Amino acid sequence: MLHDVQRMFASSLISGDVAAAPLIRSGKLSAERRLEVYRHNVLTNLRGALRDIFPVVNRIVGDAFFLHAADQFIRATPSHSGDLNQFGREWPAFLGDYPHAAELSYLADVARLEWAWHECFHAADAALLDLGRLAAVAPEAHGALVFRLHPAVRLLESTFPILRIWQVNQADFAGDMQIDWETGGDKLLVRREDGTGVEVVIQSLSEAAWRFLCELQEKHALEPAAAAALETDGTFDLQGFLLESVQYGVIVDFTREDP
Amino acid sequence: MTTVKAPPPIPSLPVACAQRAGIGLRPPHYQAILAEAPAVSFLEVHSENFFGDGGQPLKYLARFREDYPISTHGVGLSLGSTDPLDPHHLKKLKRLVDAIDPVLVSEHLCWVGVNGRFLNDLLPLPYTPEALEHVVRRVGELQDFLKRPILVENVSSYLEFIDSTIPEWEFVREVASRAGCRILLDVNNIYVNAVNHDFDALTYLDAIAPGSVGEIHLAGFQDTGELLIDTHGTAVCDEVWALYQYAIARFGQVPTLVEWDTDIPALEVLLAESDKANRILAAHRPEVSCAA
Repeated sequence: MLHDVQRMFASSLISGDVAAAPLIRSGKLSAERRLEVYRHNVLTNLRGALRDIFPVVNRIVGDAFFLHAADQFIRATPSHSGDLNQFGREWPAFLGDYPHAAELSYLADVARLEWAWHECFHAADAALLDLGRLAAVAPEAHGALVFRLHPAVRLLESTFPILRIWQVNQADFAGDMQIDWETGGDKLLVRREDGTGVEVVIQSLSEAAWRFLCELQEKHALEPAAAAALETDGTFDLQGFLLESVQYGVIVDFTREDP
Repeated sequence: MTTVKAPPPIPSLPVACAQRAGIGLRPPHYQAILAEAPAVSFLEVHSENFFGDGGQPLKYLARFREDYPISTHGVGLSLGSTDPLDPHHLKKLKRLVDAIDPVLVSEHLCWVGVNGRFLNDLLPLPYTPEALEHVVRRVGELQDFLKRPILVENVSSYLEFIDSTIPEWEFVREVASRAGCRILLDVNNIYVNAVNHDFDALTYLDAIAPGSVGEIHLAGFQDTGELLIDTHGTAVCDEVWALYQYAIARFGQVPTLVEWDTDIPALEVLLAESDKANRILAAHRPEVSCAA
């Protein structure tokens, strides 16, 4: 039966056993060797998907380490889509638990940043918010506005300077690769250039700005979001940041919260 | 399915796409293609790379669509799997096809995963009556869903299943004839399989009906000493060019694509390959071309 052939063949490719060998004609090469060729091809394709999405992780750890870790990840993590762009979502968490990467404590966060970049690259487009629409709202109603962020917006935080790590590990980076670990962690906004653009950019945010956007992402209204940001930093320029977020297309829509 | 449905009529293809070769569109060539506007007759993309909701890939594809017919070539639908066709995958494919209106839509005659787990490789089928019936039904499902005919491509393989009772060329021919789809004949894959499985590539080509071939693929392989592996990483070899010449004599001018997916060279190198195909296409008299 077709299903049994597929089930047994797939199982042998995944587990590395030779149970499917009796399904295969030998000829000038053994059935086991033929299985091995397919196992290698499957690994190559999935490794390639990870390398495409996580070039910075690859650069940091080098090819040999990357492939070794990738093979363990691939065995442990089924691919659930025929679209290889969907493969690798669990890779950052895997690296976080990977004993051989324990000394590279920032690696999982760098991988999270790369996955966020990948998601933003493929995310939906959205038109800029018409500022006139916002101006037409009576000032006393502002506090109840619920803003919608662009589909290609991701917010990340790390206790490591992952933006600097990401920058110095770009293929075209030229300059001093020194990383000042004393600068502490990052609060990052991953977005598209100028909202309607297609280039993905990573922007460092202040604590208050990050808190504000996280509140908006949680669909909290402007008033509690502003309060949370100002609680973080009393000098936060709320109005300026809000305007900037609309101009850069980070905020693309709003609704009014029902009273 | 209770009765065998008559295959839908297959519309003829734009003749312009058949007279000159197309090339696979890959990101390293985007800027060069925009700058140089090479005279290729169409561009082919891997459908799944444009399954995202927006952003750069779709923006570029829409831009290229202004200047060239686009062909979408799927690598992940798993047409031959016994799993149900993935509804998310189908929806994304239809969204892409509806947005781009491709000149050709193709999938591979293979399976990619089973029991919900994808192996993301083009795995060969056992060529049996059961598999044939299954694939014919699935091509029908896909064509009904997309509301347009598709092409199915013969894959390279590194093994044969003991269960197989039908020669691969008969299987491919029968899928096309029973499902009412066209064949995307990969001449390199035929050569690779002929060497790997020790058959005569001309037997294969002679078994395929003229008029059933809607597209031809050409690519390079790697010889590992024990097998030929379809890497799409080198120039097309002389033996494959000879088979291509034979194929064009048999099938007429058919839209032809040169694929190069690994170790992607400068655009000029790819264009030089497609020019070789152009010379072979041009040598064929157009009045016997592209019979629908």
